[in-house]
Amino acid sequence: MAVRSEAAYPVGWKNGRVASWLVTVDHKRIGILYIATSLVWFVAGGILAILMRGQLATPNETFLTKNSYNEVLTMHGTTMIFLVVIPILAGFANFLVPLMIGAKDMAFPRLNALSYWLFLLGGVVLWLSWFAKGGAAHAGWWSYPTLSENFPFASPGNGQDYWILSLHILTLSSLLGAINFIVTIHNMRAPGMTWMRMPLFVWGIETYAILLLVALPALSAAITLLLLDRTVGTHFFIPSQGGSIVLYQHMFWFFGHPEVYIMVLPVFGMISEILPVFSRKPVFGYKAVAFSTIGIAFFSMLVWAHHMFTTGLPVGLDSFFMISSMVIAVPTGIKIFNWIATTWRGNLIFDTPMLFALGFIALFTMGGLSGIFLAAFPVDWQLNNSYYVVAHFHYVLFGGSAFGFFGGLYYWWPKMFGRMLDERLGKWHFWLLFVGFNLTFLPQHMLGLLGMVRRVYTYHHGGLWEVYNMISSVGSGVMAVATLVFIVNVWRTNVLRKGVRAGNDPWLADTLEWYTTSPPPPHNFDSVPYVTSPRPLRDLRRRLAEQPQ
Amino acid sequence: MRRKLPSLVFAVLVALATAGVAAAANGGFGPVTPASPNATHIQRAYYLILGFTAAIFVLVESLLVIFIVKYRNRGRSRAVEGAQVHGHTRLELIWTALPVVILAIIAGFVFYELPNIRSAPAAANPIHITVEGHQYYWQFDYTDSKDQARSIGTLHVPAGAVVDLKVVSQDVIHSWWIPALGGKIQAIPGRINHMWFQAQPGSYEGQCAELCGAFHASMDAAVQAGSQQAYEHYLATWHDTIGRQIWNGVCATCHGNLGQGGYGPAIANNSVLTQRGSLASILHDGVTGSQGVMPPVGDTWTSAELDALAAYVKKHIYKAAPVGATSGG
Repeated sequence: MAVRSEAAYPVGWKNGRVASWLVTVDHKRIGILYIATSLVWFVAGGILAILMRGQLATPNETFLTKNSYNEVLTMHGTTMIFLVVIPILAGFANFLVPLMIGAKDMAFPRLNALSYWLFLLGGVVLWLSWFAKGGAAHAGWWSYPTLSENFPFASPGNGQDYWILSLHILTLSSLLGAINFIVTIHNMRAPGMTWMRMPLFVWGIETYAILLLVALPALSAAITLLLLDRTVGTHFFIPSQGGSIVLYQHMFWFFGHPEVYIMVLPVFGMISEILPVFSRKPVFGYKAVAFSTIGIAFFSMLVWAHHMFTTGLPVGLDSFFMISSMVIAVPTGIKIFNWIATTWRGNLIFDTPMLFALGFIALFTMGGLSGIFLAAFPVDWQLNNSYYVVAHFHYVLFGGSAFGFFGGLYYWWPKMFGRMLDERLGKWHFWLLFVGFNLTFLPQHMLGLLGMVRRVYTYHHGGLWEVYNMISSVGSGVMAVATLVFIVNVWRTNVLRKGVRAGNDPWLADTLEWYTTSPPPPHNFDSVPYVTSPRPLRDLRRRLAEQPQ
Repeated sequence: MRRKLPSLVFAVLVALATAGVAAAANGGFGPVTPASPNATHIQRAYYLILGFTAAIFVLVESLLVIFIVKYRNRGRSRAVEGAQVHGHTRLELIWTALPVVILAIIAGFVFYELPNIRSAPAAANPIHITVEGHQYYWQFDYTDSKDQARSIGTLHVPAGAVVDLKVVSQDVIHSWWIPALGGKIQAIPGRINHMWFQAQPGSYEGQCAELCGAFHASMDAAVQAGSQQAYEHYLATWHDTIGRQIWNGVCATCHGNLGQGGYGPAIANNSVLTQRGSLASILHDGVTGSQGVMPPVGDTWTSAELDALAAYVKKHIYKAAPVGATSGG
């Protein structure tokens, strides 16, 4: 369990500037590698999104059509989910969990390094599929058979096989990571840090890891069967030979819905860390926020078939999945109201992390409420697979997850690198992204209701269709500019070293990661204070203030 | 204040931008104007949910903005703490219970509307149609008709009649959706799904709603609900137009309206168009080879339909290659 690789003395090539990153088993460096890699893919996946919005800006556009468009939409979805949101959260978790619980490192540092390198490999394999025979996978990120089968008019060639291989590698990476997080959180908390004194972000990661363990095997099984169908002539999902497509749908969504909460629960945790610090208050109802996390995780495993309301399930099943999906709105609502109550009578400081956290609440609320329409299955029969759904899940995954992790980046950047990101550029980043996001995705609700289905490379209608599509495409351009501002900010702070040096605790925060230096030494802490509440650093500040001078 | 002002400006801009264009139709703020009872009842459920969610949205967002404005920093130091409130059990119970009540109302209303959405009204003689999704067209079989009438792309029904759809597919998943006539239902290989509507007079458009391959975006569907006479006229004369329907609804998608080529090769000069036998085997088996791939689009067509198509393309599409040309492309 000892941290050996980051020896205090030079021991040869392993201490080189590049080599030290290649051989590192330090959770902080692995976390930073995860985050950096995910951000590169965020830009790559974003470029794919811009290509799609370019194609859809006006009717009958011919810039990116048919199979190319289908490849781009498949790669955009798969990249954003598997190479951006899940791994960037794993990156935050790697960096933060040991620091927040006062540990020296993760429980299994080498396994941790393996998780990262598998993630990188999985991503490279996915993107190599552009060069595969027959082009990249083009059956959508859920790859329903028989479109994903190795048939001449479905998915011949090897793009789909690369997609399957990539997801297998990424699944292995996530499973190893999840085991590591669970063991670390259960065994390595600082003295006095009971479950009810644990930072809420760590609660988020605990549930994230458990959901990964429970949900990912269903995905592995589904895509293994698909691979067998494609390569060795089985017919699990080929109805003409006795297979069942609906079976695949069940297997995929049994993973696919918990997946949504895998991508958002850690972000809930980040918001629960950021809001109190910038409101100068404790989080409102710690227990309610922690237990609602568990409630959401539990119910997230009982709602998968709400993705299948148009499959023609028996009405009893549709009813069950409607009610379970609505139930999940209750713990989510608890969180939203508790967060808002956290700002009540606070001393709100609008630094960039706070802006992103408040933006998160505003946008995630929208995504949650539009989800209620989709849970009501007869209404879903109208909205399913239309642009309304595209708008809904972008409000959840971009307005939610991405705004959350950008807030997290601005908040923890000084701890990671010892320098603050620039506040002025940060605020530009936030406002451009907030405006661009709403321009892009708000009109998509209307498009869906007007009858525009998703995953089409073009449309023939003028009028409102054209207006809303144009607004949406312009918005995506604004989001691209916002991302450029962020890149400039990072460049300025870390490469040009113009970022303001941060002390241990620039935000006067509450949790243990701010107890050590910025950036922390390889062993994290020389000593860890005994934890007596969820806010050990505030306790410490108060004890210092009370001491006679 | 820093946050409020741009929000307000933004809200006003969005409101102006959308209000103008929205005045024309429902503007995309509700489902497409229904023309069938199931769509009407779905729309009712939609508006009930919209009522509740809009109220919650306004409540949450205005609380957020009010607190942001009221408890803003105002030059206080970061070291100044806000009220150290750790929670309030009764308040938290209220905002747990209230959503439960609202969701129960919504679910109750959905169940109340459900029978009218799911089940067709009892009709003396509903019209039975088999809808087959096919890469990349919709095929309609009028199973009640004497000679198994068929149409491609457009479904002809009498307005006011209850139409029972049996939705199937042989190749990949498609999804049937005419927004004005109710919700979606997937056409899944190996399964038979059902959908119904009772259309008011008019013509209604929709398209396939499940990614089904390269031409997913072109897989349009239309329902023409006219008089009983028009319906019977179609059933009596479908043979005369099926050749043109197949060309327009199936072949032209890839080969262009005049066979000039597009996604697929130009075929207007190809002499296969004049050879009924070769044409039929290509349509039945598809093409896989160095020239490219063509799905077996016609694997469920009868020989009468192939005859009609062959006659149509020979007469209207085929242009003999100019003398001296060596290749038809």
